[in-house]
Amino acid sequence: MTLRKLYFVGCLLVCQFVLAQNDSVIKLKEIIIADVLLRKFSNSQSILKFNDSVFKKNQPSLSSLLNYNSFIYFKENGFGMVASPSFRGTTAQQTAVIWNGININSQLNGQTDFNTISTRNFNTIEVKSGGGSVIYGSSAIGGSVHLNNFVAFKKQFLNDFQISYGSFNTLDFNYNVKMGTDKFTTEISFSRFSSNNDYPYLGTSLKNENGNFQNSSFNLNFGFKVNRKNTIHFYGQIFDGKRNFSGTLASVSNSLYEDFNTRNLLEWTGFYNRFTSKLKFAYFTEKYNYFEDKNFNGFSSGNAKTIVFKHDLNFRLNQKIEFNSVVDFTQSNVFGNDFGNNTRQILAFVLLMKHQVLEKLQYELSFRNEFTNNYKSPFLFAFGAKYEFSKQYVIKVNLSKNFRIPTFNDLYWNGLGNPNLIPEESFQYEVGQELKFNDFTFSATAFLIDINNMIQWSPQNSGVWRPFNIRNVTSKGLEIASNWILKSKNTTFNINCTYARTISTDNQLQTRLIYVPLNKITSSLSFNYKKIITDLQFLYNGKVFTSSDNLSELKSFKIINFGVNYNFSNSNTYKIGFQVRNIFNENYQNVISRPMPGRNFNLNFNLNF
Amino acid sequence: MNFKKTIFAAFSAALFLISCEEEIGLPTQTSLGDYDNGVIVLNQGNFGQGNSNVSFISNNFEKFDNNFFNIVNPAVTLGDTGQDIGFYGDFAYIVLNVSNTIQVVNRYTFKHIKTITGLKNPRYITFANGKGYVTNWGIGSNTADDYVAVLNLSTNQISATIPVAEGPERIVANYNSLYVVHTGGFGYGKTISVISSVTNLVLTTINVGDVPNAIKIQGNILYVICGGNPSFVPLPAVETTGKLVKIDLSNNSILSSINFAGMVHPSNIDIVGSDLFYTVNAGIFKTSISSATLPTVPFFSTTAQGVYGIYSFEIENNYIFVGDAKDYNSNGLVYVYSLGGILQKTFTVGVIPAGFYFN
Repeated sequence: MTLRKLYFVGCLLVCQFVLAQNDSVIKLKEIIIADVLLRKFSNSQSILKFNDSVFKKNQPSLSSLLNYNSFIYFKENGFGMVASPSFRGTTAQQTAVIWNGININSQLNGQTDFNTISTRNFNTIEVKSGGGSVIYGSSAIGGSVHLNNFVAFKKQFLNDFQISYGSFNTLDFNYNVKMGTDKFTTEISFSRFSSNNDYPYLGTSLKNENGNFQNSSFNLNFGFKVNRKNTIHFYGQIFDGKRNFSGTLASVSNSLYEDFNTRNLLEWTGFYNRFTSKLKFAYFTEKYNYFEDKNFNGFSSGNAKTIVFKHDLNFRLNQKIEFNSVVDFTQSNVFGNDFGNNTRQILAFVLLMKHQVLEKLQYELSFRNEFTNNYKSPFLFAFGAKYEFSKQYVIKVNLSKNFRIPTFNDLYWNGLGNPNLIPEESFQYEVGQELKFNDFTFSATAFLIDINNMIQWSPQNSGVWRPFNIRNVTSKGLEIASNWILKSKNTTFNINCTYARTISTDNQLQTRLIYVPLNKITSSLSFNYKKIITDLQFLYNGKVFTSSDNLSELKSFKIINFGVNYNFSNSNTYKIGFQVRNIFNENYQNVISRPMPGRNFNLNFNLNF
Repeated sequence: MNFKKTIFAAFSAALFLISCEEEIGLPTQTSLGDYDNGVIVLNQGNFGQGNSNVSFISNNFEKFDNNFFNIVNPAVTLGDTGQDIGFYGDFAYIVLNVSNTIQVVNRYTFKHIKTITGLKNPRYITFANGKGYVTNWGIGSNTADDYVAVLNLSTNQISATIPVAEGPERIVANYNSLYVVHTGGFGYGKTISVISSVTNLVLTTINVGDVPNAIKIQGNILYVICGGNPSFVPLPAVETTGKLVKIDLSNNSILSSINFAGMVHPSNIDIVGSDLFYTVNAGIFKTSISSATLPTVPFFSTTAQGVYGIYSFEIENNYIFVGDAKDYNSNGLVYVYSLGGILQKTFTVGVIPAGFYFN
């Protein structure tokens, strides 16, 4: 047990990410993770995992972390502005964001703005490629991003304080405290990220005039071990953000956008011999206010309130076969200027099974069916298998049917929404292989996704735009990830690379989807010598098309960031560092007409006690 | 403005005759620049993308230059969401809605002269009494800050603003009177404001009907197409059918108002002789200016060309020009038809062809 735990903790601290999950760690009752199913029933897919040592090398937003370390391409309307992902060539609404096991994509527009999530408040973040709708519901088509807090029941009092200040008056501040005994545990964290963000648009006399932003987030996690068999947890988060929306090269903006989101999850876990039961109650709120002109008090707003009741029951039949059922009831109520007041209730049943057929062969089988009054939901399934030829070489196959349900905007937008929409459906096939040596891991996964009934807002012949299930997209590609660690007495050398090749085609137009690069490469290299820690990040984004006829495009770009830190303490962390981002002052955009910052600097300080 | 052009033509023709005495006859057309004697197509571009541009089709359809603004002016970005172009003297004034600017260029060469700033959501431009008049929505969600900007054409600066009702769109001049159509910005308009270009004051307001969207002056009559409220108009308003309204310009009174039968939402208008043309979805309709009823079947349809909805429409030199914005996120098409509705030419232009301006 202890050895396994050490292995787990060691893995978190040493590796920047591990490619495959070691599912044995789940059995530890000392460390509780809300999103257990990711570990238990996603063995036939590949996962990138990041911990807080990686978070700290990146700017605090989730988009910065994933842009520099994962396969996901981001469209960002200028630094810090709305950031939406394209994962495996799919749309922003086809990537699910899972907070402690629960899907938090907006009820309003079906996606998550990756600049409204701070990485500073999580213990791990994992990126799972490929379909996951059976477990996670709507939107898990291209893949899912998992934000995890975990709670450790042990005697501890740990403080982590971090501050960085840099160009454009950018301030990133975070304080985290963990306190616990073997019965009680609490983690509180606060983070703030703000910037004037008035970077010059390279090659012009213009600057990012209306781009300043500030956001704060507060997290509270709490755990109580009632007795040997029962534990209670609470996870809470508040995000409060205020952004001026940047203009473009051709227009200045005056707009202002406010986000206020809260997330609460109460969970009771019971361990009863071969059964593990998790009863969850979650309550989420989301709210935005959009001011077209920050000097005028007129604004439009949207609100959503969501409650989730969920029961998750795991049953271990024997050493080889495990079942898991999930019953999930979700009710969302949405109201705002643009879509009236509407409520949706969804009841979902999920059954998962895992079977270790042979010592080397494992398969997973799962089903989901949802019932709602708004539309008919398709029956979803997933099948995956993993074959270990040896400790060094593993092959995985997975096929699944996934979906994305129509959002409240799609259904109810004043006079334009289409109440007859049905969910988007996708079939996905993938084959992956993994190589593992002592210091080196390598994985390559080929995928094919067919998406039907895709919801698209398109102009009607009267010029009015309405959503219909009319689009049909095929996305195929390859994902490669590798990690290599070299260690000696005084030095550690660690290199991570990801490469994604994606061909996403609109089957009617026979053109490539806009804002999907054919190639994306990320690489991070860290070299530590005694107390000196250096990091180099590299990002290559291939060109993307910006018009549906593929006649307009944004050119490819390469970004290099470099940071150096010195740790003054022998036992703890007492680090001072300096970072240069975009060293070569690359003039780039990832959304047309919205330039990103050139070379910029920051000083950082991190103290652990 | 045609007068100036004629004088120039006559003058250069004289020179031409003097220099080449052997030549017989006058050249039929004299060009004052690369973009004279043809139609300028304004490609609106996408909101927020700054990809507005202009294309040129010569009168004889032999010359076609697509997205040529940046070729003429490599250092200038035209701007975001081209809404309208007005010609005055030797100048073209290109109104950029999202950029809040007007780009002043030489109308024949399209060489950039000046960028006019200080507008707020500018929409359409016209000229009267030696001044430019530009409709502005102000802040879209503010229904009380809409205005018409008065442009001093010698300094290219805004010299005054005239507050008007919400959502001023198209504007036309009849001598010293300006007619401003309140299509509605974020809301739904139903009036036309009449402004004096002498006093810069609103003289009167004419109630025409729900959502007037196109106007044309012929003789002493202002013809107005009202689209009617769309199906998605917020309550308590309800969907209404379109109207054709005729206004007597001598006293600004309504001569007649003809409802479209059923629930029809027409747009665009042009008049050739006594034929009045308008569009409904992909159909082009033709009626007589004096007719008391409206046709129920289109004169011809553009669906054979795959036109989904007619985004822009204009008639000139006995040709009907139709702009097709396709999916609004790729290069659009311009179809040229004869007055009889027979397709003559097709051009692939820039993103969202929004208007035709004849040089």
